[in-house]
Amino acid sequence: MIEAYRELDWDYYGPELLDALAETVHMVVVAFAISAWIGLTLGLLLYTTRAGGLLANAPLFWTVNFLVNTIRPIPFIILIAALQPLTIQILGTGIGNTAVIHAMVWASSFGIARIVEQNLVTIDPGVIEAARAMGASRTRIIFTVILPEAFGPLILGFTFVIIAMIDMSALAGIVGGGGLGNFAIVEGYQRFRPEVTWLAVAAVILMVHLLQILGNLAARKVLRR
Amino acid sequence: MARPKNPLIEFQNVTRTFNPGKGTAVTAVDDVSFTVDHGEVYGVIGFSGAGKSTLIRLINGLERPTAGTITVLGHEVSRMSESKLRHVRSRIGMVFQQFNLFQSRNVAGNVAYPLRVAGWNKADRERRVEELLEFVGLADKAKTYPEQLSGGQKQRVGIARALAVKPDILLADESTSALDPSTTGEVLRLLRRANEELGITIVAITHEMEVIRSIADRVAVMDRGKIVEEGLVYDIFSNPRDDGEITFVGSALKDRPSAEDLTRIRRHSDGRLITVSLKDSAAVGGVLGRAGEFGIAFEIVHGGMNTTKNASFGLLTLALTGRTEAVQSFVEAMRDAAPVQEVEPGQETLR
Repeated sequence: MIEAYRELDWDYYGPELLDALAETVHMVVVAFAISAWIGLTLGLLLYTTRAGGLLANAPLFWTVNFLVNTIRPIPFIILIAALQPLTIQILGTGIGNTAVIHAMVWASSFGIARIVEQNLVTIDPGVIEAARAMGASRTRIIFTVILPEAFGPLILGFTFVIIAMIDMSALAGIVGGGGLGNFAIVEGYQRFRPEVTWLAVAAVILMVHLLQILGNLAARKVLRR
Repeated sequence: MARPKNPLIEFQNVTRTFNPGKGTAVTAVDDVSFTVDHGEVYGVIGFSGAGKSTLIRLINGLERPTAGTITVLGHEVSRMSESKLRHVRSRIGMVFQQFNLFQSRNVAGNVAYPLRVAGWNKADRERRVEELLEFVGLADKAKTYPEQLSGGQKQRVGIARALAVKPDILLADESTSALDPSTTGEVLRLLRRANEELGITIVAITHEMEVIRSIADRVAVMDRGKIVEEGLVYDIFSNPRDDGEITFVGSALKDRPSAEDLTRIRRHSDGRLITVSLKDSAAVGGVLGRAGEFGIAFEIVHGGMNTTKNASFGLLTLALTGRTEAVQSFVEAMRDAAPVQEVEPGQETLR
């Protein structure tokens, strides 16, 4: 195995790998920058509109809940294909990294919504009641009590989502996109070069470890433990 | 400054039913009426599930009544929208059993929060926070986070936070129930100071007699959603009920013999049992000293003294033995000196 890497044409695979890595990072960063806000909003809606919530509103809750439960279980590879007509309408193209980013935004927004909701339900309802008793408005409570109280767990939840998005981006190849997934399949698997496939694997593992360490550090700082 | 004569808080036939019309309907507060006057400490005591926490939340609109009218600080809170209520709430502080401090803010941040809500500027906020932490004795903990504080310290932060915007009313929701006895005293002293030094009217709900005893002026006893006894703490505590019913107060004070106590007493004494109120203990002592003149003997079989905010009182249960008529005239002499209750109504006619 070590022999295989020694004989590898690094002048070719080195830049290819770095390009693929950059494309993966690009897809994840752009998609996350959009879906984080959509997901956070949807998650807040799920949490606040539920029965007994700050903005209790059964029809709105059921609508958002239904959407989340409908979009989330669609396997990502099918979602890319199913969204293609919409992707073409919005972006003018149904292929390439941008098309994948579009699908990633849909999938991760609804995933984030659930994770945000799950983190918010762990907030002690007593602190929200305390803020209400002080005369704080509902908007103020959302921004100065609910979000700060759940900030630590939210960081961990978002870290989890980003890692899941790296996973999604690996399917970009099927609609002509790039990234580490495409690199592994096209350069490695299809050419019977497992050592090249494993380069992509190593890159993904490194990225995930790095992200998790950063996420844990940030959460620990916020949670003061 | 002339204070308004109107009650600060007035409940008129207030009912709160959860899940009305369903099989799971629960009436937490059932046709309750009472008033709280300016500057007093009004205690509400009852077992858990009696409806106390719903009652206290009706005052600041965290709960809405199903029927009835609630007037607080001149506003009919039972009819106000959530956004209008905010102005009333900013004049009412609240302290909670589980403290409900913001974990994401340090002590100073917690105390400053209601000031931010009320729109105080930074310099005023800082000055006020310092003043409040001084008042509750936590000036050195401003930068500390709640999880590093003891229960008693957390509740003192809770009190400082509740007092921040100089409210007219302080609601204490089981404020000492999560604390050990020594810290309970510390927190109760603080509440009493808030009442005496700052003139804040306090409504305290609790299941602990200690709280009522040490801070309340008046007390209401709640049972299954209703107020079953109400009056000055001293009167409620010191007067044995004529109907001989063992009341919440009586059972909690343990100054009247329970059924088990009676069985034990009966094992060695068959005398007539009476319970005498020690409101005027000298007069009671005088009558006891004359027992020999009546030709009867007495034995003290049960008793207890309690101290309230303003006075001490107690009950003494005596077993009287002697000729029936002699015992009867002794009891009558005792009745002239102090309130007397038959422990086992009907017993006297048997002998």
